Amino acid sequence: MHFSSKYFRAYLVLFTVSLLAASDLMAQDSTAPAATVVKKKSYTRNTFEGNYIIDNQSVMVPIKGTFEFDINHRFGIMSNNFTDLFGLFALANMRLGFDYTPIKDLQIGFGAGNYNMLVDWNAKYALLKQTRNNSMPVSVTLYGDVAMDTRAKNSSIPIVNTSDRFSYFSQILIARKFTEALSLQAGIALTHFNNIPGFLNANNDIVQELKNDNLTASFSGRYKISPKTSIIFSVDQPLTQNPMNNPHPNISFGLDMRSSGHDFQVFVGNYGYTLPEFNTVYNQNDFTKGQFLIGFNISRLWNF
Amino acid sequence: MKRKLIMIAILVVSLAAVAFKIDQQPKPWPVPDKNAKAVNPVKSNKESIAAGKTLWSTHCSSCHGKTGLGDGNKAAQLKTQPADFSKASFQSQSDGSIYYKISEGRDDMPSFKKKIPEQEDIWDLVVFVRTLKK
Repeated sequence: MHFSSKYFRAYLVLFTVSLLAASDLMAQDSTAPAATVVKKKSYTRNTFEGNYIIDNQSVMVPIKGTFEFDINHRFGIMSNNFTDLFGLFALANMRLGFDYTPIKDLQIGFGAGNYNMLVDWNAKYALLKQTRNNSMPVSVTLYGDVAMDTRAKNSSIPIVNTSDRFSYFSQILIARKFTEALSLQAGIALTHFNNIPGFLNANNDIVQELKNDNLTASFSGRYKISPKTSIIFSVDQPLTQNPMNNPHPNISFGLDMRSSGHDFQVFVGNYGYTLPEFNTVYNQNDFTKGQFLIGFNISRLWNF
Repeated sequence: MKRKLIMIAILVVSLAAVAFKIDQQPKPWPVPDKNAKAVNPVKSNKESIAAGKTLWSTHCSSCHGKTGLGDGNKAAQLKTQPADFSKASFQSQSDGSIYYKISEGRDDMPSFKKKIPEQEDIWDLVVFVRTLKK
């Protein structure tokens, strides 16, 4: 059989038609306007990426129906260099947290960590939210938690009564989103420990090392360097003067990466605990001595 | 003989292209008339495009790609190849249709009405999706 140029042209036509068929040629109607009612939202979007700014909470309360699973991890201090690979192989503090937002602007949660076998319950409420037209220039959120030391009682642990196991943290957070990239937040926190370490002095009086109530100021921020990545920082300054072992301030900075279902933060800072009451009262990592550590927060979010 | 082989090769390639495309043809996604005719109340401007772009980066780009070509880093794991949003075949849809698809989802495409509960935010996203047209 001889293939003439006529047949060849026919094949070329077939080939072209095939390729055309292979391309997307969908067309849909885009006509017929209809009135659409949109509830005008006036609140500023995404002041921060998620619940955390390193060791602090942010003013953000997730959308109603959001369930969040958190992994908070703090390695050891980096100053031992290669001995424990900059703290990565040192003893680490970890916490697993679970949060849910059952109603608009209120989140409740609980968590458990390895340090002192702490179990915590927490709540966060968005009291005021910044509006786009600046009729409300800031967002104000209240956060509180109760933590319980669940270690088994023994002579080496200063727990006599059940109430000795409890500590409390409450904080008011005020934030403003200044630009699409820049948001800043300030907070004041009150921490209360039912049980504080002490000793007997020469007169056989019990002397507490720390006060039961401690105030701490915090200042945090976010600067977006791309739509999904931000530089974050947090500075915490203890305000209460304690008899001894005054807690050290915290200076921390890191990166926040957000996607549809995750929020991931990796950072360097002085705070080594995973619960704020322990950070604000018991932190002995001194930034002037270079006692920084690496930490991360991973949050997985589901919407129901 | 050589010409004959070339033509057979062309035929095979053509048929394969058609067969492959038939398999890849997107399943029709009917949109109720009421939704398809909905008019976007959000005007396309710098603010709405920026707001839409932020939402796109957070929720969409991992599958649909940074510029909507369907080449996001998760696209290869999906059963359905995400559409190329730069093409007229996608862009010829009404704003209401795009809104409906984002809101309701189907198969690999999740519903975003819970993750993005504010209607205005989804409309911002529609505004941004329009900027992907080439």
